[in-house]
Amino acid sequence: MRLERAMLVYNKDWLEMKRNWQIVAPILIVPLIMTVILPLILFLVPSILGTSGFNVPQSLLDRLPPNLSQEIAGMGPLQSMIYIFAVYFFAPFFLIIPLMASSVLASDSFAGEKDRKTIEALLATPIEDSEMLLGKILVSFIPSILVTFLAFAAYAVVVNVAAFSLFDGRILLPNLLWLILIFGVTPCVALAGIGVTVIVSTRVKGFREAQQISALLVLPILLLIFGEIAGALFFGPTMLALLIVVFAVVDVVVFWVGMKLFRREEIIAKHS
Amino acid sequence: MLTIETRALTRRFNGFTAVDGLSFGVEEGEIFGLLGPNGAGKTTTLRLLSCLISPTSGGATVGGLDVLKDQSAIRKSIGILTESPSLYERLTAVENLEFFARAYGMSDRGAISQRIREVLEFFQLWERRQDKVATFSKGMKQKLALARALVHKPPILLLDEPTSGLDPEASKLIRDMVGRLGNLESRTIILSTHRLEDAEKLCRRVMIIDRGVSRVMGTVDDLRRKMGAVPRIEITLASASPAYAGALKRVEGVEGVEAAGGGLRLSVATKDTDGTAPRVIATLIGAGAAVREARIALPSLEEAYLSLIKEAGQ
Repeated sequence: MRLERAMLVYNKDWLEMKRNWQIVAPILIVPLIMTVILPLILFLVPSILGTSGFNVPQSLLDRLPPNLSQEIAGMGPLQSMIYIFAVYFFAPFFLIIPLMASSVLASDSFAGEKDRKTIEALLATPIEDSEMLLGKILVSFIPSILVTFLAFAAYAVVVNVAAFSLFDGRILLPNLLWLILIFGVTPCVALAGIGVTVIVSTRVKGFREAQQISALLVLPILLLIFGEIAGALFFGPTMLALLIVVFAVVDVVVFWVGMKLFRREEIIAKHS
Repeated sequence: MLTIETRALTRRFNGFTAVDGLSFGVEEGEIFGLLGPNGAGKTTTLRLLSCLISPTSGGATVGGLDVLKDQSAIRKSIGILTESPSLYERLTAVENLEFFARAYGMSDRGAISQRIREVLEFFQLWERRQDKVATFSKGMKQKLALARALVHKPPILLLDEPTSGLDPEASKLIRDMVGRLGNLESRTIILSTHRLEDAEKLCRRVMIIDRGVSRVMGTVDDLRRKMGAVPRIEITLASASPAYAGALKRVEGVEGVEAAGGGLRLSVATKDTDGTAPRVIATLIGAGAAVREARIALPSLEEAYLSLIKEAGQ
């Protein structure tokens, strides 16, 4: 497998996709909602409705990991709530950003070529299966992960600016956990999800079918989020390191399975 | 020397046999026609030869390479025009060709640019090189798809219905270009078509397939003969007489005479037009006929083809 051949597929697809607003829009809209709108709601609602009624429920406080409880010790109710949500509970949402941002790109990878009847000429080239698969994965992965990094930067700015007066000028983000999450866990999770979607895209008849199936991939991430809110999981350094290892293995397995399942003949048969 | 050779090439899909035991050979530099109605198995045959699908049984070699063992090497050596143009509509003509040139292994930037210019000029698309393919007409897309098939200078071209869906003017243009391609760079071409005109004008030999089975194969003239269509000498006279047809029936080599236009037009069936025509003319002049015009009419391939397909249907 030669990387430059995979990048050839990547460059061609990216050139085509960036001229298609139907594909580019979801990459931008999802992060915008997550990074600007969510924290703004968190900060603006108390200021509009007044701060007196905002107390962190005791049941939630009871389920917090000990080190987080220590971090919020001494904070007022509003500060505690904003800190818990902005610095802790919102973190796993950033695992969803690359998956949602890439769902259109990854679903379009092979299924879109089938829909547009360009797949046969591509499959007739001597580009190897692994090069084609990697190129298609990268064209979904690179833009969506870059958008995630930018979204994190924007989120950190929004949170710090909004929290500036409330926390007496303290900079809340980034912290170590967020850095591990964004630059370690998120790429591994995104790669696995994108890999699965690209494989699905090779095996379905068209883009819509691929996208419907790929939407299910967000469910495991939602389970992580609910697990965290329910107190069953804690995104501490150990948990994040474990996720990185697990998903790195999953990435390799997904690519291997993708290679095993990649059959030009079946792709052509589904296209015809 | 055979550049392409198939041996009992067979492909089945879930119990349906799309290609059934095809055996044929294509010589180097030849334009070989694969002729048949829609659903005959032409596209499947080209997909088998381009290693997009594998045979269920039988085999084939392309440029001396086995379709089962040397798929990557075969892909490098062929240029394929697929059933639909298969072009990236949001990319420009140059961007499309650049991608495929590199995909087929070209790496030198200067050589790629030079080659793209050559093929775009050949297909009269150079002026539109920076336009997105989405803005092209159907005929222009087909020309660009042909340019794509040629961009890496493949010795073998597989063309699937190159004039399908085009208006007569665009069809003629594409046909002329394919004909010129055959003379360039010693290319071996397999042309799949259901248009007899394409096969008749471009191919030295054709194979007619129907429902995956080879019905007949040979030169276009061979096919006409094999399928029982007899060449004719068409004669126009200045004046009519029943005696003329009677005299012609006794001429050596004449198989039948039909009169039309009140006896002013005679149609003489013969297998040996070159040998029989001088005797026919001499007999008519000897009988006192004034011959205005005489020409040899070969039966059309269409006639032969339709009779064959009808026969196969029965």
